[in-house]
Amino acid sequence: MAIKFEQVNFSYPSFDGTNFSALKDINLEINEFGEFITLIGETGSGKSTLVQHMNALVRPTTGSVTIYGIKIENDTKKKGKVKLNPLRQRVGLVFQFPEYQLFEETVLKDIIFGPKNFGVSNEDAIKRAKEVIKHVGLDEEYLKRSPFNLSGGEKKRVSIAGILAMEPDILVLDEPTSGLDPKGRDDLLKLFTDIHRKLNKTVIIITHDMNTVYKYASRVLVMNDGSLVYDGKPTELFSTNNIENWNLDIPDIISITRQLEERLNIKFNSQPKTIEDLFILVKEVI
Amino acid sequence: MKNIIIGQFIPGTSFLYKMDPRSKIIALMLLMVSTFILSSVSHILIMLGVVLVILKIGGIPVTRIARGLKPIMILLLFTFTFQIIFIKTGNLVFDTDLTLTYITLPIILLIVIFWYFTKRYTRFKFLYLLITVFGILTLLSLYNPGSIISSSHLEIYQDGLEGAFFIMIRLIIIVTLSTILTLTTKPTDLNLGLEKILKPLGIIRINAEEIAMIISIALRYIPTLLDEANKIMLAQASRGVDFSEGKFKDKIMQIISLLVPMFIISFKRSDDLANAMEARSFVPGKRRTRLHTLSWHNIDTSVIVFCVLVLASVITVRIML
Amino acid sequence: MNIIEIKDLSFSYQDEIQALSNVNLSVKKGEWISILGHNGSGKSTLSKLIIGLLKADSGKILVDGVILNEESVHDIRRKIGIVFQNPDNQFVGVTVEDDIAFGMENLCFQQSEIIEKIKEYSKKVDMSDYLKKEPHALSGGQKQRVAIAGILAMKTDIIIFDEATSMLDPKGRASIMEYIKEIKKAGVTVITITHDMKEAVLSDRIVILKEGRVIACGETNDILNDKETLNSSNLELLLPLKLQYLLDEANISNDKVKDILWQLSLNK
Repeated sequence: MAIKFEQVNFSYPSFDGTNFSALKDINLEINEFGEFITLIGETGSGKSTLVQHMNALVRPTTGSVTIYGIKIENDTKKKGKVKLNPLRQRVGLVFQFPEYQLFEETVLKDIIFGPKNFGVSNEDAIKRAKEVIKHVGLDEEYLKRSPFNLSGGEKKRVSIAGILAMEPDILVLDEPTSGLDPKGRDDLLKLFTDIHRKLNKTVIIITHDMNTVYKYASRVLVMNDGSLVYDGKPTELFSTNNIENWNLDIPDIISITRQLEERLNIKFNSQPKTIEDLFILVKEVI
Repeated sequence: MKNIIIGQFIPGTSFLYKMDPRSKIIALMLLMVSTFILSSVSHILIMLGVVLVILKIGGIPVTRIARGLKPIMILLLFTFTFQIIFIKTGNLVFDTDLTLTYITLPIILLIVIFWYFTKRYTRFKFLYLLITVFGILTLLSLYNPGSIISSSHLEIYQDGLEGAFFIMIRLIIIVTLSTILTLTTKPTDLNLGLEKILKPLGIIRINAEEIAMIISIALRYIPTLLDEANKIMLAQASRGVDFSEGKFKDKIMQIISLLVPMFIISFKRSDDLANAMEARSFVPGKRRTRLHTLSWHNIDTSVIVFCVLVLASVITVRIML
Repeated sequence: MNIIEIKDLSFSYQDEIQALSNVNLSVKKGEWISILGHNGSGKSTLSKLIIGLLKADSGKILVDGVILNEESVHDIRRKIGIVFQNPDNQFVGVTVEDDIAFGMENLCFQQSEIIEKIKEYSKKVDMSDYLKKEPHALSGGQKQRVAIAGILAMKTDIIIFDEATSMLDPKGRASIMEYIKEIKKAGVTVITITHDMKEAVLSDRIVILKEGRVIACGETNDILNDKETLNSSNLELLLPLKLQYLLDEANISNDKVKDILWQLSLNK
């Protein structure tokens, strides 16, 4: 078990002086290998707060998060014995906006910043940078460029490379595809599946795009108003009726299949996952 | 970081809240000038009384004011000590030898160490410090066994004592008055009031409206920027930046890793904002109407009259005596 | 009647490749037109040129018959409102009511009128309960609604939505699209700039930009039928449309299915 949440609550004081509960009684387990998890829910449902617990950026108000055997509780830092930093190397967290982390003159320097903070030597860090820049689908020539003269999609890739170079066991990404056009989005998602398959790392993605959830995820977590309301397979999630209560969309492929079934007054014998699957089903019917 | 509140405004209903920000600013200035003109301890005590009455009628808890005084405690203490030590006129009220010996030195060190490690457990840190310092002084003057390391002489004169007291009360009055203003006026209203008061400066080419617009945008964006700074800090912490540790060289790198993204994002933001403002027909320096305007009530007139009277009597007293 | 007329417009940022080259476009009064293209196709540049935030290298823009230049730019901005992409970076006021008032203050509306219009238009975008709220207490979608109210209150003839939904969650996005439909119904000319074909199909006409050039321009129906252009545009095709293309390729035709897929493509 890599990460374990036990009865985690997190609250902070809000404007009017009352306490706002961002997380309520979260119980959750994340495996080290082989999971492709999407985390979904409305804005303000607690998704970002949840992932910030996964690498000990924030500590739970009550309850505990155990990360690779190290138990984080509310008073963990005060005791001063536990080093939180090494955990952040093992659970890499990429923030939504690459602008939050890029600051060096060159892409290379920016990518080696993380590894060097964790004690990797300069040469090794550079070796890693050359490796990861290819992983994120950019040319080695990019290492010399300034991170600020890149397009939005390229910045995002560099920021992901900066985390990958730390060689984390688990990769967590906060809305990695927001603001990108469809092509940029698909390229990145392909990259994440590659990381997941080839390097056998657990990948956790926060997203609003149900097509991504349906197409890529092996497991989906749904947050609603600070609570974890669903933890399971995407196929089952979209066949429940709770979708609307949680203000979630339905993946395009499911909605078009349902529309076809309804308007043609037929029932397909399986739920297609891609448009090609649907094509085969429709072909049989006509 | 959702609890950012700018300024110290606390909602209320007393007469201070019903006043126009312009009259509050003018009244504040009149009373401040009066405080500076006063020159004797008894008069400044009367002024302090007046301020306390304003607090009472205005329904502002004294504890809030005390919180406002906290940041200037060091300044108060410094001026107090300075006055006491260096003014050597008037009657001698206190005279003692301060003697440091080989026996009292380790005792004092022990006291300091004890104070250092226990200070975090008390809520009244400042009071605790004062008691410690006073204790050490008492020890120095009364207890001097063993061979002497050094010896000095502490004299306190009446003028020094009075002067120290006078300056302290004066500072307290001034801070209290400005705290009353910020506690009872929303930052936006304060901004609008300042704009109107500064308007005559247009003659010397200072555009009060532009200044007010800048302040208002700053007020709008400070919470956003603080929120963003927090996120950047978390993002860099995720890359192994440990803000609580590190050598001096690392510290510089840590600060750069925060500042550069802050600047880049702010530039982008101000560019966007300028576009948005221009697109909505904003032209710097051009006349605009306002949603919020200020209205002058009877209470404003009476408060100003009162403050003018205070100033007039203060001047009279000063001239007469 | 054409309310916007763009002729041979070209623009490039300093020492960079042409952001727009020889763009010709006309927008009819009261229509809803979508400018569709992927990131970097020049679509946002076009919107900034129309309201004079950027200056064209060559070509001209006419708004309501008036040529856009340094003298006319302020008058033209009175006719065009624009909602930008980032909800946070266009919220000028300290509170919701201040932000709605901002444009009206600039246009020197009377105070009483400003107050009245804040009431009217905050209600139109369902934000009347939030008038005293500060922006950091609002969601992205709510901030965009405030921006819309501020522009509606200025009574502009044209409103441009420059990727106004791209930073919002699905709920915020859907609500903004509903308001756009209403605005169009009220007779305002609407230009939406997007990379999302799902949004674009809701409009009357679609213009597709690619690498700074107009590669297609026409009625939404016609554009959806233009398989070749769509395939070359690098845009993400709508699933029903994709299915129809697959059926076409396999030479399977069924009028009923075709009709349903067409309806679904148009989001009906």
